[in-house]
Formats: sequence, structure tokens, C-alpha cells
Amino acid sequence: MASIRRILKFVVIALALLPSLFPIYWMVMTAFKPHDEWVTKEAILFTTRPTYENFLILFNPEATSYVSFTAIRTSIYHALYNSLILSIGGTILALVVGTLAAYAMSRFRAGGDVMPQLILMFRMMPPIAAMIPITIMYSAFRWVDTHQGLIVTYGLFNLPFVVWLMKSFFDDVPREVDEAAFVDGWSYWGTFTRVVLPLTYTGLAVTGLFIYILTWSDFLVVLLLTNVRADTIPIFLANYSTAYGELYGPLAATGTFAIIPPVVIGLAIQRYLVRGFTFGAIKR
Amino acid sequence: MVSLKAIKGWSNDVEKFPTILMMPINILLNLIALFPLFILVYASITDWSPSTGSWFRAHIIWGGNLVRLAGDGILHMAVLRTALIVVVATGLEFLFGLILALLFVEEFRGKRILVSIFLLPMMVIPAVSGYMFFMMFQGAGPINKIFSLLTGVRIETAWLTIPNTALFATMLMDIWQWTPFMFLILLSGLLALPPDPLNAARVLGASELTIFRRLTLPMLKRIIMIALILRSIEAFKLMDGIYIMTQGGPGYSTQTISMWFYEAGFKYLDYGYVSMIAMVTWVCLGLISWFAIKPLRGG
Repeated sequence: MASIRRILKFVVIALALLPSLFPIYWMVMTAFKPHDEWVTKEAILFTTRPTYENFLILFNPEATSYVSFTAIRTSIYHALYNSLILSIGGTILALVVGTLAAYAMSRFRAGGDVMPQLILMFRMMPPIAAMIPITIMYSAFRWVDTHQGLIVTYGLFNLPFVVWLMKSFFDDVPREVDEAAFVDGWSYWGTFTRVVLPLTYTGLAVTGLFIYILTWSDFLVVLLLTNVRADTIPIFLANYSTAYGELYGPLAATGTFAIIPPVVIGLAIQRYLVRGFTFGAIKR
Repeated sequence: MVSLKAIKGWSNDVEKFPTILMMPINILLNLIALFPLFILVYASITDWSPSTGSWFRAHIIWGGNLVRLAGDGILHMAVLRTALIVVVATGLEFLFGLILALLFVEEFRGKRILVSIFLLPMMVIPAVSGYMFFMMFQGAGPINKIFSLLTGVRIETAWLTIPNTALFATMLMDIWQWTPFMFLILLSGLLALPPDPLNAARVLGASELTIFRRLTLPMLKRIIMIALILRSIEAFKLMDGIYIMTQGGPGYSTQTISMWFYEAGFKYLDYGYVSMIAMVTWVCLGLISWFAIKPLRGG
């Protein structure tokens, strides 16, 4: 009986893997295809003539054969640097500010019922409509096209995620834990940082990964708040949508390359995705 | 100005401590959010367009934009279509995410690597997924090729040129990309459940299905609600991938409300009208979410 269940489980996992991996397989395969195989009369599922030119164009466009028919001269370094700074900065800002507020809301009912709702509503504002007035305000402080302007905007837009997810993870930690800490003589701050917060590392890791991904792949905010200096990878992609048509190879290569940072973070948080990670800590 | 003496001992004061924790979020909200909101509300009653001048010089037309909204059939259809996408995509993402999450609660060999693989779709930049799904659903694309090989019948449907299949393909992209979100949130919720009640029920001989229905699901209720709400909001704003994939076409058959905003804002520079629609959708979503969240309050 137990072994049938095990087999069934792996069959379901295998069935789920196919559709989930196919688009990624297609992206990686396209990234290695020479340019006459991108769009064909008959789809090519596996290329027999792999090329690394699609990746080379990201770093050194002048060295590729595409130079003969496109005007692309920019490499990805600048966009990569901006993307890393903005996504890490925005994630940290939202995590710190949001976690503090989520704890105050969970344990002290700070802000009542209205504040969490208001914060959630920041995520509901259609981003384009929100960016119009934000651009007006930022041009007054000369914050358009700067890192600080974008980091603050990302921090603000990601707060609802952090506040709501972290509040729910804090709510799940029993109050007895706090009470025990007070009895042991911890202050409120000590209880929060040394006792309750470590119990929610699973939630913190998951939340951090999400908002990192959302910021890393954001297109609209950065499109509207930058001109040239703060462009990121999703904006950089537009370079490959040329007058000669879409360069699917370099587009797929950028996508394949851009998946690396979130994957690294995803692997790093895996150790928090274990049952009893939090409850083991209570027993100690 | 708060003097240093006043905040001394803040960490032992039940009044000051939450106030201090809330201070950063209050500063951020008041500084960055209030003024733009004011401009947005003001702009929504004007006919402002950046091609005619600054926002404070625009003519005030009061409810004029609301009258336009009532007669804007393209917008009405975009709203309905978005609602359909939100319900179908979020619902299926939840279902698939929950099934997967339940399979990954227990430890087994290869679990870590499999979890990482299942998270991959979420990590692809949506604009890139848009290009890939555009390629995949072409008449001569890989999807048709695989189905032709499997069935032996030559299939050459150009999915993105037929309104219904185009909408279906865009939903598939959203489901593919964001099921990992549901999976990871539900998995983290499942992993944080206290193991004792579950083990006790198992010892008492309750079936797995009963345990799931009577214990796991009620204990997960809060995180399920939050995951559904957050995902619905994101699905409502679905934009960059689908824009690259279909440009809202054929015709308007895959245009979502966000695409409508994009075109009205950047093609037609209709800022006043855009602000009014934004305010109306914002208030509607706020009301819907207020009632949706009600069971989570005071609990």
C-alpha cells in the first residue's frame, strides 16, 4: 500500500515536470540555436548545430556575426549591474520595513484593521496610473533615473507582499512563545529579534525570494522611471527587438542568463524549507 | 521632534514599541505615497494630457471622465476578460500548487532539487516568457509539432490568431509562470504546521483524507486566503508577458485592463481619463478585498 502511494506520487511529479519544464527547455534550446533555426517552417525541437554566439552578443556584440545585420553595440554589463543593485536594494528595504510593521500588527494590533488593508491597496493600484504622479514627484526631487528613486519605489510596491505574508507567519507563532520570553526577562525588541523572528525564517526566506523575483523581472516601473542611466535587464531586452525582427536567440540567451540570480537565491533558501525547522527551535 | 529621553526604554514600553516598529512604514507611506495619490485624485477630474501642458493647467471637467467610462465598450470588455483570467488562472494555480505542495511535505531523496526545478518558471523574466510562448504557439511551433508527432495527425493551428485559443494560451502562460508561487507559499505554510495534532490523529487511526479535510485545511486557511488574494491582485495586473505574446490581439480579444492602461496612457496620452479609471478600479478592488479579507480579521 505504502509503495503504491510512493509510485503514484512520483508519477504525479513526473507528469507535472513535463509542462513545467518544456518552456524552459525551449528557451535554453533557442538560446543555443543559430539564427536560421529561430523561426522555421517546421519547429526544430533539438538543434544539431549549437552556437554560443547568442550568449557572446550579451557581453561582446562586436565579436559576433550579428554585427553584419544589426546595429546592436551595447553589452549587458550596465543593465546587469543596475538590475542587481535595484533588486537587492528594493528587496532589503521592503523586507526590513515590512517585517517590522508586520510584527507590530501581529502582536500589538498596530494600525488596527485599516492599516493592513491600506497597505494591500498599494499593490492594487494599476502600476501605470501610479507611475504618472510618482514621475511628477520624482522630477521635483531629481530622483527620476536614479537608483535611490527606484529602490524606494520597489520598496513601496513590495511592502504589501512582505506585510501580509510576514504577518500571517508571525500570527502562526503561538503567543506562549512571547510570554515565555518575557518571563525569561527579554525586552520587546529582544523577544522579536531573538525569539520570534528566528521561528519565521521559513516565511522570511520565501517572502524574500518572491519580492526579489518580482523586482528582478519588473518591467513597468523601471520603464517609466528611467531614461538611460538606470536601465535593467528587462529593459535591455528591447535591444533585441530590432528593425530586422526579433532576435530570438539573444532574447532567449538573456532570459537563460537572467534566471541565474533567482536560482541561486532559490537554492540558498532551500535549507529553510524543511518541516519542523521552526518547531525544532521551540523545543530548544 | 522626539527627544532621546522620550524614546529611552522604548523596548520595554507597550505603547512606544509598536509605534517605533511602525515608524519606517509610516515615513515611507507619507513621503512617497500621499502626494502622488493627491495628484491622481486631482487629475481624475481633469482632461489632462501631457501633450497640452502641465497637470495643474488642465481643465477641470468634474465627472466628464465618468461619463466617458460608462460608454467605453472596449474598456468594459477588458475588465470582464481580466476578471475571467483572474478567476480561471488563480483557481487552477491554487489547485496545482496545493497538489504539488502536499507531495513535497515529507522528506525524500531528491526533494531539494525537485523543489528548485518546480520553482524555475517563476524565475523567468515575464517578458522572456512572452517571447517563448509566442514562439511555442505559432502554427509551425513546437507545441503543434509535439502534438502532431504524438497523434500522427498534422496540426497547424495558429493559436494566437484565433480569439479563443489566444486567450487560452495567455492563461496557460500565467498558470505556467505562477503555479510555483502558490506551490511555494502553500508548501511553506504546510511545513510550518505544528506536527503534533497531525501525528495524534494518525495514531488514532484517522485516514489521510480526513486529516487533510479536518485538520490541515482549516489550519492552512489563513495562508490560503492570503496566497489567493496576493495572486489575484498580480493576475489582475498581468501585463508584460501577455503584451509581448499577443499585443492584446487578435483584435481586442486578449486585451486586459493593464494593457488598456498602457495603451491609453502611452499611446493616447490620456492621463486624466487614465487617472479616473485607475481611481475607479482601485476603489472597486479595495471594496472587494475588504470583504474578502473579512474572515481574516479579528481572528
